[in-house]
Amino acid sequence: MIVLEHFVLSIVMWFGLYLIVTLSLNLEVGYCGIPNFGRSLAVLIGGLAVGAIINRIFTVLLGISGDIISASATVKSILDPIIAENPLLGFGIFILMLIVAAIMGYVVGILSILPSARLKEIYLAITFFAMACVVFDICKHTPSIAGGYYSVNVPDVLAWIAGSQRFIVATLIILGIALGVYFIVHKLTSSPCGRMLKMIRENELVAKTFGRNVMVNRIKIVAIGSSIAAIGGALYTSMTLSFRTDDFNITLWTFYPWLIMLLGGLGNNLGIALGTLIVVLIRTLLIVYKHDLVAVLGIPFDPVWLEYILFGTVLILVIMFRPEGLLPEKPTFTKPLKKLKEIKKSYSSS
Amino acid sequence: MFSIPFSVIEGAIVYANLLTLLCLGLTITYITTKVPNFAQGSFAIVGSYIAWTLFHVYRLHPYLSIPIAFIIGGIVGLLIYVIVLRPLVHKGASSVILMISTLGIDLILVGIFGAYADYISRVTHEIATRFVFTYLDFNIGFIPAILPISCITIIILLISLLLLLYKTKFGIALRASVENPFLAETLGINTERVRLFSWFLSGALAGVAGCLLPFKQEIYPATGSLILPSVFAASIVGGFESIYGALVGAYLIGFSETLITYGLSILFGTQMLVYSKAVSLTALIITLIVAPQGLMGVNWRKIFEKIPRRKIV
Repeated sequence: MIVLEHFVLSIVMWFGLYLIVTLSLNLEVGYCGIPNFGRSLAVLIGGLAVGAIINRIFTVLLGISGDIISASATVKSILDPIIAENPLLGFGIFILMLIVAAIMGYVVGILSILPSARLKEIYLAITFFAMACVVFDICKHTPSIAGGYYSVNVPDVLAWIAGSQRFIVATLIILGIALGVYFIVHKLTSSPCGRMLKMIRENELVAKTFGRNVMVNRIKIVAIGSSIAAIGGALYTSMTLSFRTDDFNITLWTFYPWLIMLLGGLGNNLGIALGTLIVVLIRTLLIVYKHDLVAVLGIPFDPVWLEYILFGTVLILVIMFRPEGLLPEKPTFTKPLKKLKEIKKSYSSS
Repeated sequence: MFSIPFSVIEGAIVYANLLTLLCLGLTITYITTKVPNFAQGSFAIVGSYIAWTLFHVYRLHPYLSIPIAFIIGGIVGLLIYVIVLRPLVHKGASSVILMISTLGIDLILVGIFGAYADYISRVTHEIATRFVFTYLDFNIGFIPAILPISCITIIILLISLLLLLYKTKFGIALRASVENPFLAETLGINTERVRLFSWFLSGALAGVAGCLLPFKQEIYPATGSLILPSVFAASIVGGFESIYGALVGAYLIGFSETLITYGLSILFGTQMLVYSKAVSLTALIITLIVAPQGLMGVNWRKIFEKIPRRKIV
């Protein structure tokens, strides 16, 4: 039973995390047509906001010296017992983490699109990709930023919950925030703002004719998207209690969100949720049955490579045979449209 | 002023040569099929693993496996184009979809390398998951052999490419179908053959680069994405749509990455060596802001004409 419970909880946790990140990607790609190939950058920044910035704030406040790895362990050992006594302090630190991550994500989002905001799609995509690669590389090889190869401890904001209950609460928090993000993104994309984004995606000239500033709107939407993705990264770090640069690599946070988005359906938030569920389910199954897979199939290599080959192939098959995704994009159902339908219904009934 | 040791210059030249091979492939496939290939880095790793296998199984020195890497790399490039990219191009997929599909190919390739490395390590009892060839290099006189060999390889490849492009009928057809594919087709040129050739060449050049790469850098299955930012930076600095741009950009990025990081490491200490990729990222961003069409896309004559006129006035 414990195994099953753990299995379900980890599916829910990853579902929440990937839902947040992929919704933010869909906002940029599906609605506004900005090919963000550097989603992992914003997620990494969110992780860094907790692992590097929050930790540093507390090392300064508590007057701890030493490198970030040992200092973060000291911070954790001092803060955790205090948080265990005052849940409110834990809640405050948690909110602070999310706010710092959101602000950093916003700024990094603006910085990452500025050089190529007015250029063709391929330049945009290459710049996003190159930035994500380089920042990841520097982070990984510079231990003074946030531990480099090694993991950095993070204060446990849920230290007041004992033992196995903690994982359940953490999962519920992630799911709750993911649903909140879903609600906000859904409201944003079905409002006039969402239709403006679609207009920019479909035809920039039309958008300009209607007096919309294409460049400013693009920058804004990347900033908002990065901010949401950074919240996802911060959540991941604060709930798993450690930050390691390797957990924020390009495959996990750029490629998988793209796969989920294309599988679920570009520009359809419900499709994103469905795609997330499918990919997370397959991935968790692969991880759980890793050793059985090796034993039964007798494959002479690490199953992680099988995961790469499988998901790469799925992506290409989706692009080839169902480019619109499982749930294709639908026209937004605006209030005037709803009213028209009601009138039509009342006519037909009478 | 500080003098630069010979080994740094040597490293810069070799690195620039390898970048040239990768950038040429990237540019050629882009101008013929309009596919920005995000798997170019992993194309090179195909060559690295071929060289590793030939060395550890058949005891063939990596320098001798260059021709084999050329051919097998080319076949891999060709297969990827025929199986995945050609159907997508025919369906009229957008450039974003083409890019993400090459990213998918990259992931599949990384998965295959990883699986192969695990398997072959188990069979041969040698470590293939992380390897270098630096210990296999020998000295010619007082210079390491990688320098003349990479230079000779690139000169041979470039001369034969130029001969092919400018002295043969196929070269004329190739250039015609790059300039205007529709007009070339009306003249009876088989533009599809040109596209097939360009993907073969791209894979082949990357295979050669991959064969030499382990002499300079540690190779593991995901190395491709590590060198990709430099390749893109070099292509864009030179001009993404020009073959000569690939050459200029590769040398510029290769030298600036090596020399600027060397300078920084002398000024601020060895921890600056990590920032070599940041140098190419900076070059990429500056190019996109100042001249997004790259060095070859800039109308230099116009700029030079302006300078003396101002002086006279």
